[in-house]
Amino acid sequence: MRKISIISAILFAILGIIFTVLPLGTIAFLPIGIAIILSVLSIIKSKNSQRKLPKIILFISFVTLLVVIGKVIFIRDVVISDTQFEMKKEESKKEDIKDLEGL
Amino acid sequence: MKKISLLLSFLFVCAIGFAQIKSNEKLIYAASYNMSGMMTQLAQVTMSTDLIKTSKKSFLHLNWEASTFSKWDKFFKIRDVYETYVDPATLKPSLYKRSIYEGGYTKTEKYIFNANGKSINSSSQKSNRPESKKTVAIGSSTRDIISMIYKLRTVNFSKFTPGQSASFKIVFDEKEYPVYVKYMGLETVSAGNLGKKQCYKLSITAKTDKLKGRDKNLIWITNDQNKVPVLIRFSIPVGTGQLTLSNASGI
Repeated sequence: MRKISIISAILFAILGIIFTVLPLGTIAFLPIGIAIILSVLSIIKSKNSQRKLPKIILFISFVTLLVVIGKVIFIRDVVISDTQFEMKKEESKKEDIKDLEGL
Repeated sequence: MKKISLLLSFLFVCAIGFAQIKSNEKLIYAASYNMSGMMTQLAQVTMSTDLIKTSKKSFLHLNWEASTFSKWDKFFKIRDVYETYVDPATLKPSLYKRSIYEGGYTKTEKYIFNANGKSINSSSQKSNRPESKKTVAIGSSTRDIISMIYKLRTVNFSKFTPGQSASFKIVFDEKEYPVYVKYMGLETVSAGNLGKKQCYKLSITAKTDKLKGRDKNLIWITNDQNKVPVLIRFSIPVGTGQLTLSNASGI
């Protein structure tokens, strides 16, 4: 039981890190939350001498959680100016006017 | 029988009303996609209008643009443009264009609506394949998807009772589809910088596999003169999502 919860906690923590790196927003809370619960469970189930690994997982999950909270609060959703796209639109509009002249 | 159809035609004309779409209108939406039950903001959708003058006549340019937020650009960049040039009074389309860039996949489409109103000259190109051209027969009232949405904004829903529908015909992917818009009642929803607005809740159904579910493709338009679409929920084969109005100007 202890081993299963540690392995699951590691897997969910990895998933949480991947989701944090990807721009998936609040979805990352799900694997991180599970990783935290499982690592706490592992700590409870472990003897004092065996608590190092679950504590590391708990620490990593907690740091990942803070990163996600920081991203949600501080990073704004913006569309960056795309010069190539803007130029393409301008060219397309000129072409459209030519087509409309012919109608 | 003739009298009934005449009366119905009259009621329909009254209900459709007149175009109220102004030029220089700009509506900005945040597009979200449902991922594992959580709505994730993916892109910004901008609906704008401007007046284009040629030597012969004026056209209202209706433009829809979708661009992924910068954080998504590295993973799945979207730059889609849907645009149509319509008669400012009747919103009848003359030229429709669609240019899609979605994570490397490209598609362009152009329809020129012929003056007889019964056909379009279509040219389309997918990624690196050669361009295909063809003439597609359409009904006289058939329009493109963008001008249909704007035409929808001219319908007088105050005369509708819940469950009553309006029908349209659109041409999309070189095929003609009937589209039914069912009025579902009034609801108050958040409308970005416009605050909370009382809206007409409408359900859109089309006989196509591109839209899924019954009453799952919904649009809320404000119950005022501007009839601004403030919330659009869609259900497509690859999932569900929504567009929420964040800023409206020039209305």
